[in-house]
Amino acid sequence: MSQQDSTEHQEMLSNSVTDFARGVDVARVRKLSETKTECDRTKWTEMADLGWLGVLAPEQYGGMGLKLADMAIVAQGLARALMPEPLTAVAVLASRVLADSNNESLKRKLLAGLVSGDMLPAVAWQEEAGTLDVGKIKMQATPFEGGFRVTGSKRFIIGATNADGYIVSANSAQGMQLLWVPRDAAGATVEFNTLADGRQSGTLKLSDVNVPKENVINSGDVAAKSLARAIDHTAVIASAELCGIMGRSLEMTLEYLKTRVQFGKPIGSFQALQHRAVDLYIQQELSSAVLNDCLGVLDGVDGGEPDDKARMAAASRAKARCTDAALLITRQAIQMHGAIGFTEDCDVGLYVKRAMTLAAWLGNGNAHRRRYARTEILEGVQT
Amino acid sequence: MSVATQQVDFNAMSDEAFRAEAREFFEKDYPEDLRFMPRRLTWGESKDWWIKLSKKGWLAPNWPVEHGGMGLDPGKLIIYWEETERAGIGRMPDQGVTMVGPTLIRFGNDAQRAHYLPKILSGDNVWCQGYSEPNAGSDLASLRTEAVLDGDHYVINGSKIWTSMAHHATNIYVLVRTDKTVKQQRGISFLLVDMKTPGITLRPIRNIAGGEEFCQVFFDNVRTHKDNLVGKINEGWTIAKGLLTFERLNIGSPRRPLQAFEQLDPLARAQGLFNDQGFVDRYTQLKMDLNDLGSLYQRYVDKARRGEALGPDISMLKVFAMDTYQKLAELLLEAGAEYGAYADEITLGDSKIDLMTPFYTSRPGTIYGGSNEIQRNILSKYVLQLPS
Repeated sequence: MSQQDSTEHQEMLSNSVTDFARGVDVARVRKLSETKTECDRTKWTEMADLGWLGVLAPEQYGGMGLKLADMAIVAQGLARALMPEPLTAVAVLASRVLADSNNESLKRKLLAGLVSGDMLPAVAWQEEAGTLDVGKIKMQATPFEGGFRVTGSKRFIIGATNADGYIVSANSAQGMQLLWVPRDAAGATVEFNTLADGRQSGTLKLSDVNVPKENVINSGDVAAKSLARAIDHTAVIASAELCGIMGRSLEMTLEYLKTRVQFGKPIGSFQALQHRAVDLYIQQELSSAVLNDCLGVLDGVDGGEPDDKARMAAASRAKARCTDAALLITRQAIQMHGAIGFTEDCDVGLYVKRAMTLAAWLGNGNAHRRRYARTEILEGVQT
Repeated sequence: MSVATQQVDFNAMSDEAFRAEAREFFEKDYPEDLRFMPRRLTWGESKDWWIKLSKKGWLAPNWPVEHGGMGLDPGKLIIYWEETERAGIGRMPDQGVTMVGPTLIRFGNDAQRAHYLPKILSGDNVWCQGYSEPNAGSDLASLRTEAVLDGDHYVINGSKIWTSMAHHATNIYVLVRTDKTVKQQRGISFLLVDMKTPGITLRPIRNIAGGEEFCQVFFDNVRTHKDNLVGKINEGWTIAKGLLTFERLNIGSPRRPLQAFEQLDPLARAQGLFNDQGFVDRYTQLKMDLNDLGSLYQRYVDKARRGEALGPDISMLKVFAMDTYQKLAELLLEAGAEYGAYADEITLGDSKIDLMTPFYTSRPGTIYGGSNEIQRNILSKYVLQLPS
């Protein structure tokens, strides 16, 4: 795609997101956060109709085949408006994993369905907290009648409440298997934990669930690599969401500093608050500069698909910086709004909570700095 | 000495070709013993390189070709800077090239340009800056050194401070008060003065690193001809302010802190610190900060290359670069443990490491050219538009 086409696409996406987000009412977001679902299927279909679920998916499955940089625009814009729907978990994580599959008939059903909004697959890969290693799993897939019989449990599944099924990773004698398990499969149960922002984190338990071979998405090294890559790509789009969160949060704080009067002056005239606001602004700008660079690396803007090490470094840089900046900016938003910032009525809290759930998902700042240290610094220097 | 007459259109060259030429020249011709000096060069150390640059026509990359410069566009100028840093070329007493030349080219008259520019290029004139005063630092506009017109001369009284390399300079450019009845910023003028003029005395100031880069300059009835007024009377503030934005890009380059960072690596290995998770966490954070600074810097470089104006938001680059540089220098000392108090270079295995110099070099970075607090004021007022 030419540079010009790419800029045009990005402008179109940006405009459509802005239009959509303008109509978003925070009341709906608050109401959804009090229920056990974060996904309004009518909204979801609208989002699909606007093409957002298919930004990354190849054209033969109804998608647009665009770049992560384009997806980032959508994710950032919708996060600004606090949209609770699991866009990134589905349109990036699940979409990437499915796109790597060679199982054409399954792909026709799942990936095309994902893009149209009819099918909502949730990826269930993680079993323990604090790791980004796709191999650290115990779920077992045992060959059975040409397919697999699967047992084990998965945690921290985003998008689980409305999921039509799960993409699970499991160990087998032939290495990792990525398998499709429909929601109503016999032996599958799901439980939920409420997250800070009211969204749900799913825990999936599979007990001798039969997965026919038609539902194998990918196997062996290819499966593990595909999943690891998809997770890094998703972490970077989650970073774009964090940029949206911090952007709107800082805007609200600056507005407040300009209008709130104490001691006969707008509080934004006090240097202690001015300098703090500047430091928050610097963190925001750093985040956006890093995000753009990392999107460029992952999209292979110079020199094609990066190797695993370069990809991991880029994803960790983006997620670490954007996470830390978003947590700082949203928490300082409470402080700089004073007592009102700590009230339920004030939207500031919604941003604080969304920042927290995005921060914890797919590796927080510490997890990504440690991973960066392992791959970029410590190799060969530890004695 | 005549100025180089060879006229090459550097901007017509490809970036790669220009970079290759600069790299070869800097690698081959710059004196080896002056590479990666932890301090500024004296005029005595600089002179040969100055003349060599001048003869090649490469002394003033930022000046237009018709005035003897290279006439580089922003993209090429950034490459020039990058290659200078890469080769470890020292900072010369370069005020004539960086400040006086561009000021005269933009605000001076033909006679001033004809008189002063060739003397800068030839090295006959070495300039220093007279801006700050003992009571006018961050609040520069409150400066009180005064100039009064007496016949054809301005008579200057007062003193300037933190003047780098004044004891090596032949000329000084000063901001002086020429009207006390108007708003502070509107009563300031920009004057050029010969350092040999009677009434000028110098007091060198020793800094905590033991160097004598600074001076206080005293003016006692110092007379300079009225032809040495740059621009119009009382327009000095605008002139002084107009030149700084692009320079802040160079200050925000991640290369200098990166060089300090490279010292940390052998030290940490020798001390076995990479097995210490507490150290590794801080090291990693700083390394990521440096890379992120690189991303921010590159964003401004790309903007300058596209020919877009750089706004006041560029102050953030200086704030983050200098804060990061200091943290790095501090970690270097801490990693040294007992060696962290050694005033001189230490020897660890095969490598010699100078722990103290990065500390001293990094400290004034948050003070000169507008302290980090002043940069935050600028960002607050002009970018975030917070009320005053």
